[in-house]
Amino acid sequence: MHWINWLIVVAYLVYVVTDGLRRAKGTSHIEGYFLANRNLPWWAVGLSVMATQMSAVTMIGTTGQGATDGMRFVQFYFGLPVAMVILGVTLVPFLHRAKVYTAYEFLERRFDAKTRSLTSFLFLVSRGMSCGAIISAPGIVFSAIFGWPLLYSVALIGIPTVIYTMFGGVQAVTWADVKQMVLIVGALLLIVIILVMQLPVSPDAALRVAGAAGRLQVFDFDFDVTKQYTFWSGIIGGTFLMLSYFGTDQSQVQRYLTARSVEEARSSLLMSAYWKIPLQALILLIGVLIFVYYLFQPAPMLFNPSHDSRVRAADPAGYAILEQRYQQSFEARRDAAAALAEAGAADAVGARVFVAAESTLQAVRGEALTMAGAVTGEQTRDVNYVMPDYVLNHLPLGMAGLFIAAVMAAAMSSIAAELNSLSTATVIDFYRRWVRPQGSDAHYLKVSKIATAFWGVFACLIAVQAGTLGSLIEVVNRFGSFFYGSILGVFILAMIPRARAVGAFWGLIAGMTAVGLVSFGAPQVAFLWYNVIGAVVVVVVGMLLSMGAPAGTLVTRDS
Amino acid sequence: VPEQPRRSFRQVLLGVMTVQVITLAVLWWLQSRYGR
Repeated sequence: MHWINWLIVVAYLVYVVTDGLRRAKGTSHIEGYFLANRNLPWWAVGLSVMATQMSAVTMIGTTGQGATDGMRFVQFYFGLPVAMVILGVTLVPFLHRAKVYTAYEFLERRFDAKTRSLTSFLFLVSRGMSCGAIISAPGIVFSAIFGWPLLYSVALIGIPTVIYTMFGGVQAVTWADVKQMVLIVGALLLIVIILVMQLPVSPDAALRVAGAAGRLQVFDFDFDVTKQYTFWSGIIGGTFLMLSYFGTDQSQVQRYLTARSVEEARSSLLMSAYWKIPLQALILLIGVLIFVYYLFQPAPMLFNPSHDSRVRAADPAGYAILEQRYQQSFEARRDAAAALAEAGAADAVGARVFVAAESTLQAVRGEALTMAGAVTGEQTRDVNYVMPDYVLNHLPLGMAGLFIAAVMAAAMSSIAAELNSLSTATVIDFYRRWVRPQGSDAHYLKVSKIATAFWGVFACLIAVQAGTLGSLIEVVNRFGSFFYGSILGVFILAMIPRARAVGAFWGLIAGMTAVGLVSFGAPQVAFLWYNVIGAVVVVVVGMLLSMGAPAGTLVTRDS
Repeated sequence: VPEQPRRSFRQVLLGVMTVQVITLAVLWWLQSRYGR
């Protein structure tokens, strides 16, 4: 990469760390460190909510998914606006008015200490591991494209994030998120403009060709629970997932607990409701346009440069034959695409020729991917390298630096929020609750910083070991999906006056068990439905067990 | 005083729904005009 691009990346890193350290001045006690004294404006919190949800995978993987699979992934987010509106009128007022630090603290006030500790523990385990995965995803891509050891990439992303999160607390996290979100959206919009200018055909022809290749199939109304992304899994399963994520996951709850009032907390969530689907559609559309761009520009057979060189070295003759076939199928597809672009909308024969050429090329690429998998022993995940290949080799000078900075910003905003929330749950739900309830504010502040550093180091270690821990991380993510909907069920119970502590605790266990049974007994069921199953089982079992149980402490909306 | 936030929340809700309907309409148009 050109030194000007590196200069942009370094300037971004220096700015984000110094700005974060500057924010540390206002955080001399834990309410400031964890909740910014509950005094942040709604728009900053709203951008922070969006930045936290958007990780580097969104920038790299989702664009690649747009290029290889088209727009259908946008259905995953159809439940988000619904969930945000529901949370705005239900859980947000409860949590904000309860003046809690963590969502789980609220569960102790409503139910009992063991329900709080269990939910908080589940959060710590899953988020601690997923934080490592968030660092490793862009780290692996950076290592492959720049030829670095994974440790360097993890350090480049992890160390600056840990520094500004540890010293600056939530103030630094939120204001960094605001700037990072501006950088991310700005970079994406610039890429769209450049991409449209670079296309050798008109936008109308580009969309026609992309449509013929099936990249513009957005809606799938098939009610099939084994399909990952359908309208129904998005609108029903997605609503439950987003209710769980934004309503019960401390990394998100902590964002809007920093808002000045319930109204501002609601408004900050509704910002995501406004913009998430259009933004996600834009990101997928970038991928679709890159697909069209590569119809006319030679693209590598394997986008992952590390796998490309390893397969080439392992079987030079076999790979050369495959490359020759790839080149021939590329030329046939390019000619078919050009003919289709010129012919107009009514050219059904041209569309069929193009689709056949596309299938031939994808079959050759499939063989290359199988070869890469056999040689490297790794999952290929070639989709993650489509966008970096385009950015590094086809964009004007400076744009690659801007994009790498934006990917780092997307990763860092998620990591920072997670470290901050992991530290909060550790200190508030465990250290202050069970170890040292009567400590001074200064003591808790010191422990909070140590906890942030601990989780930062833990996440970086997980990220560095991502190759060997790959299956473990997948197990934890799978385990995470077992209890996401179930925790939502506990929070739903918390809002039902007749629900009791015994119902909440054993309902949670029953919900997780039910999802585990479905996961192993019927693995073909798409994971979005796990959230619905978990939440429903917890509420049903929880209410049954609550009947006849002694009355507990009730927390009303105004308490 | 309590009426004001409720009204403004309704307005925001209307805005959210309007943006979603426009986005879905654009996606629907993309699929029906260019999709297979």
